[in-house]
Amino acid sequence: MSLVARNALIALLITVVLVGTVAYAINYLNNARVTELSAIEEQLSIDSLSLETQFSLLEAAPCDSSASSATLTSELADFSGRLSYAEDQLGSDNPQVIRLKERYSLLEIRDYLITKRLAEACKTKPVTVLYFYSNAGDCGDCDKAGYALSYLRNTYPTLRVYSFDYNLELGALKTFIAVTKVKDTLPAFVINGKHSYGFSSLADLEKQFPKGALATTTATTTKP
Amino acid sequence: MGLEALAYPFLFIAIFFESFVLVTLLSAPARSARGRFMDAIFPSVAIIVPCWNEEKTVAATCDSLLALDYPKDRLEIILVNDGSTDTTPSIMERFAKHPQVRIIHKENGGKHTAMNAGVALTNAELVGCLDADSFVESNSLKEIVTCFNNPQVVATTAAMSVHKPENILQHMQNAEYTFGITLRHVFASINGLYVTPGPFSFYRRETLEKLGGFRYGHQTEDMEMALRIQQAGYEIGNAPRARVYTKAPSTIVRLIKQRTRWITGFLRNVLGEYRSLILNRRHGVLGMLVLPTALLAVGSGVLLFVVSIFTLAQNAIVAIEVRAGIPLSYALVPHGALDWFYLPVNFYILLAIIVLATSIAFIIIGRRISRTTGDIALGMVSYTLLYGLVAPLWLIRATSDVALGKRRNWRY
Repeated sequence: MSLVARNALIALLITVVLVGTVAYAINYLNNARVTELSAIEEQLSIDSLSLETQFSLLEAAPCDSSASSATLTSELADFSGRLSYAEDQLGSDNPQVIRLKERYSLLEIRDYLITKRLAEACKTKPVTVLYFYSNAGDCGDCDKAGYALSYLRNTYPTLRVYSFDYNLELGALKTFIAVTKVKDTLPAFVINGKHSYGFSSLADLEKQFPKGALATTTATTTKP
Repeated sequence: MGLEALAYPFLFIAIFFESFVLVTLLSAPARSARGRFMDAIFPSVAIIVPCWNEEKTVAATCDSLLALDYPKDRLEIILVNDGSTDTTPSIMERFAKHPQVRIIHKENGGKHTAMNAGVALTNAELVGCLDADSFVESNSLKEIVTCFNNPQVVATTAAMSVHKPENILQHMQNAEYTFGITLRHVFASINGLYVTPGPFSFYRRETLEKLGGFRYGHQTEDMEMALRIQQAGYEIGNAPRARVYTKAPSTIVRLIKQRTRWITGFLRNVLGEYRSLILNRRHGVLGMLVLPTALLAVGSGVLLFVVSIFTLAQNAIVAIEVRAGIPLSYALVPHGALDWFYLPVNFYILLAIIVLATSIAFIIIGRRISRTTGDIALGMVSYTLLYGLVAPLWLIRATSDVALGKRRNWRY
């Protein structure tokens, strides 16, 4: 074998090893992300169950658990950001991503229900937004709507935004969609029970909120 | 994955090419070339300096040649005035009385005619060329002639750097030239060179005459001659410690003009008269690896640039659309926690980092094997940040010129 042919073979081997190592590293990183998400999700699940149990135990004074509920909602928002990033990296059709999204949706529904029960028991009026999107390529305005809601959530920390992938094959979500009577015209919003469809601008979205609701939620952010 | 997947095959080939260079750098022929010592055999040498309106630099070029550490009776310098219209002829005449210098004045006919006029005037065993905007170190010629101890070698190249880089563009070119020192050293060790650059390349005079002298060569007579040498089955060597410094374009417009000439010359020569070299096993690494990779580099450079611009524009439009109507205080600030989870690495970025890091390693290696002094840090930074942005400009211009059959004046 000539020197050039030998060197070419060695170079090919090095290239395959390098590219393989990179592929392994990326895969390792993505697996670590999924593991991290699973761990967070597990913790959220425990927190959620704990809150529910706490709520049942404190039937007489349920409002004491409201601080925990706010924390859980904030953690859910952080989890949502991570899940969205993982979805970008791994693809929306990745089985692990889908499984995590299903569990996340369940947690959101549970948190939404707890929030409602707390609101009734404590006579508070939290502003909740149910946001239904699709990333199947059939919702041109979903990215804009998602970004606008991120802005609102960032500006008004006590605003409770629950995002759902409308097309997720999950029984509880299908039932939730049926119960809340959300049509498949996306993006769809249910703001404090009031339905609206489509997204044109932040200003128009803000008009969908109850009068003074955003200002009120801002004021409550100082509450520990 | 998207459009970036188009880059994967090119990145794979780039890593393979760089791995091949590294392995060959460590192989016996390259190691032996690095260990070569100057000997005491001094063949007769003629150095031709073709000049066309080089009034600013020709005197310094000539002075650097006269300062070469080489027996005076074995070295002659031939200054060829190729129909200059400035003060070049009178500056040349200042050297007329020097015993080693001969001067030719001729009608303008192009660099190849100036070289041929010089070759016709001498009987020296070796004939070299030094562009009139280049300067040599005193030991360079001794390093060069040592390569000719190998009877198969009929031409030898030097190690080029940019002469006194001043602005960021020149520093970038200096790093690129230093990168080239490594490549030239490695490929010379396995006879894979296809250019004998104007600054300080040497030839056996007999071979030059046998091959018919220099030709127009699509404005790249140095490349055409090297390809002709390779086609004839000879070898081209390299003296990595033969230091030569050349002036580099100081503006982007001049740089694009220069590189467009180089790339169009390469494409026209290689895809034209020397097409038979490509993928020809008889021509070894040149035919099987160097020329195909060089052609692929031109094509991939254009393709990746267009794809990058398209992707960037697409992402920018989406980002602007998504942020429309959102207060700038939020829209312009990046959001997301500083967390390993959000580490922006993917397959494409990591492969690109490998290619870039190896390129930087080649610059450091080139500097070390050529024993080049001076600061290269700024060059490496500008090469890393700038080269990928500006190189596609001349690649696109050159490929479109070749595709459309457009010819440009090479003077800038």
